[in-house]
Amino acid sequence: MAEILLSVREVTRRFGDTVALSKASLDVAAGSFVALLGPSGCGKSTLFNVVAGLQSADEGSVTLKGVDIAGRTGHVGYMLQKDLLVPWRSVEDNILLAAHLTRGVTPMDRVTAREMATRYGLGDFLNHYPHALSGGMRQRVAFMRTLATNQSLLLLDEPFGALDAQTRFEMQRWLLDVWESAQRTVLFVTHDVDEALFLADRVVVMSPRPGRIVADLAVTYGRPRTLDTLTSPDFMRLKAEVLSLLHPEASR
Amino acid sequence: MKKLIPQIVFPLVGLAIVIAAWQAIIVFGHVQPYIAPRPGAAISAIFSKWSQIWPLTWTTICETVYGFLAGASVGFLLALAMAKVSIINKMLYPLLVFSQAIPVIALAPPLVLIFAFSMTPKVLVVAWIVFFPVTVAVVDGLAHVDRDYHQLATVLGAKPSRTFALIELPAIVTPLFSGLRIGATYAVTGAIIGEAATGGGATLAQYQHDAATNFQTQVVYGTTIVMALIGIACFAVVSAIEYAVTPWQRRSTARRRKA
Repeated sequence: MAEILLSVREVTRRFGDTVALSKASLDVAAGSFVALLGPSGCGKSTLFNVVAGLQSADEGSVTLKGVDIAGRTGHVGYMLQKDLLVPWRSVEDNILLAAHLTRGVTPMDRVTAREMATRYGLGDFLNHYPHALSGGMRQRVAFMRTLATNQSLLLLDEPFGALDAQTRFEMQRWLLDVWESAQRTVLFVTHDVDEALFLADRVVVMSPRPGRIVADLAVTYGRPRTLDTLTSPDFMRLKAEVLSLLHPEASR
Repeated sequence: MKKLIPQIVFPLVGLAIVIAAWQAIIVFGHVQPYIAPRPGAAISAIFSKWSQIWPLTWTTICETVYGFLAGASVGFLLALAMAKVSIINKMLYPLLVFSQAIPVIALAPPLVLIFAFSMTPKVLVVAWIVFFPVTVAVVDGLAHVDRDYHQLATVLGAKPSRTFALIELPAIVTPLFSGLRIGATYAVTGAIIGEAATGGGATLAQYQHDAATNFQTQVVYGTTIVMALIGIACFAVVSAIEYAVTPWQRRSTARRRKA
């Protein structure tokens, strides 16, 4: 068993009378890829924001490598469905945004960013402005920016939600390639069952009212994931299980 | 080269149509030259009176530029203060509107009482006109910076001063320049109103007034054209600066930089 990187313990978060997240507990092993899956209102974004430090927990604790990070920012990489690329910065400068915002860019940062971008297929676009890129390319740059924070834990909130199905599949395979070589830990929020099962080692299923974790499923099939993964019997079996958890009223 | 036709040729055609219409009205309407001159006469009056017009024009340009720079600076700083400190915003916003409700021409007498017939009252009238569109544009621009950028910066652990310099300031460049372009266009109006309202002295407004009194109609029109050209030049200069500082709006790649 790998070392635990992120530990979420009995975290509860309320907004007025609404319990957005109720006693959520979750351990994420270093180097693993965990998907948070659930319908809107299930608390996955709340959990995400608590881990990111944007919201505090009313109860419970969040630790990263044993250090309490609940309600504290600057400890994780972070990426949303909106790429949030800065239009007046080139691809290279967008990748370096975190360094620039926190401590200033060193020549070493530049070299690292260029090497990384080149290794993952963005080398020809380093000097492009974001408006000259396609949606998929923009998300790649946004992910490179997240990677360049050098944080061990990357939080991705539906990063491919706005892309068309073909581009999304292409991006999922690209993400897996990068993740496997970059050795980071990913917490990936999605409402797409196929996406969660295709990408993750573990799928954490959440349910609304109150937002809570209802299941934590290990994905049994190995890597690399391919097109065949999507139609394999193991995939289908897990998908059936997840769907019955997500729609208990529709299963019999 | 493809852009040359819509950007240069079409405006010239529009201008030619207006001048032709002006010429046609004078010629076919049998308008007397002392009532209104032909376009050619107005333009040649600029050249024949150039030695008198140019020094006055230079004065007006100085008033316009000084006033524009003062108004734009004050407007920009005021906007930053208003956007960052909500108490200042609440105190000043109504006053800002009030400031523009004052007829500009009514500003002149009090300013003359303070500064006499120097250049200062004209410069202040220009600044008074220019600061308002700049302030409004920048306050609006800062209010419309996508909150998700702030959230991203927060999660990354950004220093507020760096978020301001790297996200907010570049984000308001475009709205700032829309404010500056409006300000630049009205600046010369402010200078001429200032000259006319403070009265006396050797000014372009006074020169035009004297020409009208003497029925030198072609000089009156020539002076008007000169005034308009100052405004157009201001607009063009501001637009050129905007073009130079916003390469991401038209280029697909940034200039290469060394590591």
